[in-house]
Amino acid sequence: MLAPLALAERGPLRAVLLFALVAAAAAWLDLRESLLGHALAPAIGPPEASGTYGRIAVGIVLGALITANLGLVRILPFAAQVVLIWAELLALFLAFFYSFDLSYGFIAERLEFLILQGAVTTIYVSLIAIVIASMIALAAALARLSRSGVAYGVATFYISFFRGTPLLLQVYLIYLGLPQLGLTVDAVPSGVAALSLCYGAYMAEIFRAGIQGVPRGQTEAALALGLRRGHILQRIVLPQAMRLIVPPTGSQFIAMLKDSSLVSVMGVWELMFLARTQGRSEFKHLEMLITAAVIYWVISMGFELVQARLERHFGRGVQR
Amino acid sequence: MTRLFALGAVLALGLVPTLASAGSVLDRVMSTRTLTMSSDAEYPPQSFLNDQNEMDGFDVDVAREIAKRLGAELKIVTPGWEVITAGNWGGRWDISVGSMTPTSERAKVLDFPAVYYYTPASFAVHADSKAQTVAELNDKVVGVCGGCTYEAYLKKDLVLDAGGVPPFEYQVTPKKIRSYETDVNAFDDLRLGDGVRLDAVLSALPTIQEAIKNGYPIRILGDPVFYEPLSVALEKGDAEFSARLADTIAAMHADGTLTALSVKWYGADLTRAK
Repeated sequence: MLAPLALAERGPLRAVLLFALVAAAAAWLDLRESLLGHALAPAIGPPEASGTYGRIAVGIVLGALITANLGLVRILPFAAQVVLIWAELLALFLAFFYSFDLSYGFIAERLEFLILQGAVTTIYVSLIAIVIASMIALAAALARLSRSGVAYGVATFYISFFRGTPLLLQVYLIYLGLPQLGLTVDAVPSGVAALSLCYGAYMAEIFRAGIQGVPRGQTEAALALGLRRGHILQRIVLPQAMRLIVPPTGSQFIAMLKDSSLVSVMGVWELMFLARTQGRSEFKHLEMLITAAVIYWVISMGFELVQARLERHFGRGVQR
Repeated sequence: MTRLFALGAVLALGLVPTLASAGSVLDRVMSTRTLTMSSDAEYPPQSFLNDQNEMDGFDVDVAREIAKRLGAELKIVTPGWEVITAGNWGGRWDISVGSMTPTSERAKVLDFPAVYYYTPASFAVHADSKAQTVAELNDKVVGVCGGCTYEAYLKKDLVLDAGGVPPFEYQVTPKKIRSYETDVNAFDDLRLGDGVRLDAVLSALPTIQEAIKNGYPIRILGDPVFYEPLSVALEKGDAEFSARLADTIAAMHADGTLTALSVKWYGADLTRAK
């Protein structure tokens, strides 16, 4: 009884529109063969024999379900809404994968190695690259902001090249190109170097924007107080810039986590490499690819949590 | 100024070509007692990751035997195929036992001391297909691995200039050639149904048999259209290592070792072309 009421407050027209849209789309897609169609068999008879009537019936039921669901969710408090929507989407997602008819025994046998060898290598490569990229980015951002033409030139050249070429190409350039100069680098260091250089270039621009985002008055005030230049950067500007830097940098880290799969072209046994190869001998790629997708997702959720904590930490100054 | 000079010196030294000098690879193998081989981990049954998460397959067994005869341990690295065929290994690995076809293009950067077996190339069609002969694939859509010899065959551009290759004819003119990253992806499209995305796939006979064994609804069409010689490869320049490998492979041909391994993995003797 509550659902229609809540919707009525927020506009019955919208609810009717949503219902009609979903029902029409479902009828048009012909979902008689779906789980829902089979569940309605007692009412509409055998799904495949129910004809247009069955299509419309399934459409109406699905429309009603979704509309009622949204109406119900909307009367809950915000946090509960979020949890419920996540749970519902996740259930739909799992049902989608479940319909692939995967061999779960095959996944279970290989999961341990996929995590202990693959995921660990992925995390290890990404973490080292993140640390180095952050240092490169800070140096490049400061050089980009400096008054020295040489530093500015070097920094802009670096940023332009590494943002302007594909990461895969940089991996090849470092792995295949350096040996031509007599410097043979192993696969993992090559990969870390390519990731650090590429993401360092992107993050340099984020760092620069963050530093420039701190009002000039802060520096002037610090100068008036007699603080040294280095001190001003370290104690006044950077802590405030961090608040602006952290959110986009977090996205970069997550992107890097996934781009670390490119080091697999050099034969590093990381997550993506194993996902591709483990299923090959028995022609079961989808099993391992989906498993790897889930593992990547879980790791990136970990990154998201760290990012949220950092945001809270550096945002203290503006919190009320 | 001194620093600039030093940088220049380093660059100049580095630019000296790094081809393997005579005997240097052999010396490295002998002194470390390890033979490092590069192998493709996505190429069953030649080389793949088995249940125990170890490299296994025909090529791996052949390499293990070569290492044993050289008195060395076998170590396996798994770089991407294009990294292997690009040459300039820089001492990262000593040898490729990777079912590589010796072509004159590849021979510019790699040495091919010995052919160790021949792969028959065959067409596969969906189990529901009505085609009975290879000629019926004219004006059909055929899937194939991109950049490989099978694609070259379909494009009528196949150069097999190693010795002892039986002559072949171009028997099919497809309407469309669809290139995939690997053969296996082409099989995934073929299994969807006859003519859904593909009408046929041209691939290695052992790979087709492996797919059938794993429940793919496909079948082999007609006789093999050509036999592809496959050789071990090493970085250009070490003639001593090259000669030593040629002797080793010749001995493995002569005493039946290769035949036994071929029967083990393919159920047939593929060590000589029919």
